[in-house]
Amino acid sequence: MTRIVVDPLTRIEGHLRIEVEVENGVVTDAWSAGTMARGWENILVGRDPWDAPYVTSRVCGVCEGVHTIASNQAIEDAFGIELTEAGRLMRNLFSAGYYVHDHFIHFYVLSALDFLDIMAIASYEGSDPGLLAIKSKIVGLVVAGDTSPFTPRYTPDEFSVSDPETVTTLVSHYLKAVELKAKSQKMLSYLTGIQPHPNALMPGGCTATPSVEILMDLKKLWQEQADFVNNVYVPDVMAVGYGPLLPLAAAGFGATDGNYLAFPMLPQGSSAAAGDISFGGSNPMFRGGVIKASGPRGTLTDISGLTIEDVDYSQITESVTHSWYDYPAGTDALHPSEGVTAFNLKKEGAYSFLKAPRYDSMTMEVGPLARGMVNKFPALVDFFNAGGREGVVARHLCRAVISKQIINDGLAWIDRLIELRLKGPLVGMNEKAVPKTGKGMGVWDAPRGALGHWIEVDNHRIKNYQLVVPSTWNAGPRDENGVKGPYEQALIGAPVPDLDNPINVVRIIRSFDPCIACAVHLIDPHTNDVKVVKVS
Amino acid sequence: MDIASLRKPELTRRDFMKVAGMTAAYFGISQALTPQIVQALENNAGKAAVIWLEGQSCTGCTESFLNNLEPSATSILLDTISLRYHETAMAASGHQAEAALQATIAEGGYVLVIEGSIPLAEDGAFCTVAGKPFTEIVRETAKNAAAIICVGACATYGGIPRSGPTDAVGYLFRGKELHHYFDDVGAKPVINLPTCPLHNERLTATIVHYLTFGTVPELDQYNRPYAFYGKIQHDNCTRRGNYDTGRFVTDFGNPDQHGFCLILKGCKGPVAKQDCWDRKWNNRGNYCIDAGHPCVACSNPEFYEDTSPLYAHNYDFGLPPL
Repeated sequence: MTRIVVDPLTRIEGHLRIEVEVENGVVTDAWSAGTMARGWENILVGRDPWDAPYVTSRVCGVCEGVHTIASNQAIEDAFGIELTEAGRLMRNLFSAGYYVHDHFIHFYVLSALDFLDIMAIASYEGSDPGLLAIKSKIVGLVVAGDTSPFTPRYTPDEFSVSDPETVTTLVSHYLKAVELKAKSQKMLSYLTGIQPHPNALMPGGCTATPSVEILMDLKKLWQEQADFVNNVYVPDVMAVGYGPLLPLAAAGFGATDGNYLAFPMLPQGSSAAAGDISFGGSNPMFRGGVIKASGPRGTLTDISGLTIEDVDYSQITESVTHSWYDYPAGTDALHPSEGVTAFNLKKEGAYSFLKAPRYDSMTMEVGPLARGMVNKFPALVDFFNAGGREGVVARHLCRAVISKQIINDGLAWIDRLIELRLKGPLVGMNEKAVPKTGKGMGVWDAPRGALGHWIEVDNHRIKNYQLVVPSTWNAGPRDENGVKGPYEQALIGAPVPDLDNPINVVRIIRSFDPCIACAVHLIDPHTNDVKVVKVS
Repeated sequence: MDIASLRKPELTRRDFMKVAGMTAAYFGISQALTPQIVQALENNAGKAAVIWLEGQSCTGCTESFLNNLEPSATSILLDTISLRYHETAMAASGHQAEAALQATIAEGGYVLVIEGSIPLAEDGAFCTVAGKPFTEIVRETAKNAAAIICVGACATYGGIPRSGPTDAVGYLFRGKELHHYFDDVGAKPVINLPTCPLHNERLTATIVHYLTFGTVPELDQYNRPYAFYGKIQHDNCTRRGNYDTGRFVTDFGNPDQHGFCLILKGCKGPVAKQDCWDRKWNNRGNYCIDAGHPCVACSNPEFYEDTSPLYAHNYDFGLPPL
């Protein structure tokens, strides 16, 4: 048995350390730990509640905006604020636009290098002038002896795409994706002031007052994003997912235990009273829900008949049995509205500073695949019919499908906003003073999954603030019953035929799009006393 | 959009021209020097090596850096600099990433970019990479660097994490105070480019300025280039006329107050030193005040510990005599 450590696990947000045990070429056990913390929840205690959306957006510079939204919703819940229509539309447009570029950047920039043999470009023999320019660029780097940041890299294996034309095309899309991300951020700055880190989204809505001209420019940029998603991103994901990666998909590669949780998001109606909770509106574009596993991992063949339960937010808890925190004596798990952030570095049996979120005492995978399962995406049903299963490839597929729906359906919100603006000034805010006391919850289905913020206000100041974020759900450790977190589950059974080249380990973890700065509220001072064989 | 157009990357010499022209413009130096900048970039055999460390970061500064459009971020990455270590962008993981870092350190002479604050508490245990405290990584990497550029509020003065339990500091400063934690790495230029997050143009121009002239731009007492941080937001505010005539936003939801001065909503414009009023953000898309959001002075060393509450008018500056 050999212990492999991958630290830093790069091309993610934040600092993540993955340890796996490998026996006979297969992963038999796994641990995931974040290695950086700043004490974010503690910073907010005693502050003016209005600071919270600004500060929590800085938990993470990648999924910044969704924290602002969840924080705003928690405050609106505590203060009793209902959004204006323009406020809801601007918030939706921000979230939707951000969502889409976050997903294609994950595919091209953060994940693709795990599946592409990038040096195949040197063998490109076609005549496309654009692709030839890419070839000469990459070959130029090789000749100059400096191929950073593309090297060093893990050795490509039999699942890597090595056809020169495909690889060269995908690298050209990689470059285009970075440019389109910058354009998306410019588009979103019209609503948020600056990007990343939206400032104008405040409790009560949005302070921006875009002119018709700005909204028309926003629409133009939105259309450009839609063209890229419809004509490039989705076809690329389909080509790879139904092509070279279908064998991995059919094997359930990187599947978790099969419990899924999604929160609602992108409300399209004005009343908040409808059953599926989404503050600031009803009729969410994507519904929330819970799926409990019905069989062994990665063996589900038909998702069309799955039972979807409504989310009961009182069923959410965080356990710290294997985390470096103390809870009051006799307490194994706490609801986030009563959450405690008090760490104990000497705690026996603890190995992570992520808490272990559970729903009805069960571990849950959150994120694009959960959203796809809960909403029974037709594209996902087709993928299962074609032999695909839960896991790495299905996660990438769901991101593309979600992006397509959001970017295409979102155009109607821009048109409605323009219509409102033509009638008069946009009223994006419904401002209310901080109450003396109050409690609130905000939930949103962030790109990486179910996100919740809980706030308690006392004497006009924040008394307690707790975040339960997607990457804590997915990257958390074992709980009081010894049940592993989703990352750990997904790694078990992964083939690692070459101990020096654990490419499957990083493929699995990156398919979740880890966001570890969000996930860890305190750190891993982990002095690493286990026996470690470093991968060389 | 024509699909064929997607395949035409702009990876030509014109990008050098764009970088050069931009740098000259941003630093207020003569466009006549553009050819000299182009030449410096072209003569930079093997390109300038850059190590980009992330400590207690949120990756927001990296995100912001990637927002460069003219020239594109990929053009800067592939044509202008050689990014040897950057956890979010590099292909390598684990031991390979470590090896790339060590090889570049051994080579020496690189530009070191630091993103994120540096926690000193518990001997640096609040941030470790590959089992090493971040303090140790910074010290090791700073030793052989030619110049150090700290990006964002965190790496410069501690940023928001300075208010937390980890004794988070910037490379040179803990808020306004100097600290001497990294004295042993030798005298070398340290340039601070604060704001939350980093403004991408300020970094690109600073790197190119350094590569061209071999010197750092003129800096203020907090090591910020005067070219970017020499003027006060309030003196140049697009809403200044409303301040002078006493028209203030008191209710964000009142459309009659659109465009009014934000000072009663906690705007820190009178103490904020930055050129956002001129430069704007996201390729001239917008900036906070134009979006109706008060300036929070995120370029100042006292951000956020001493600028909170962000939206209350309790700062030590008054209103105009009316």
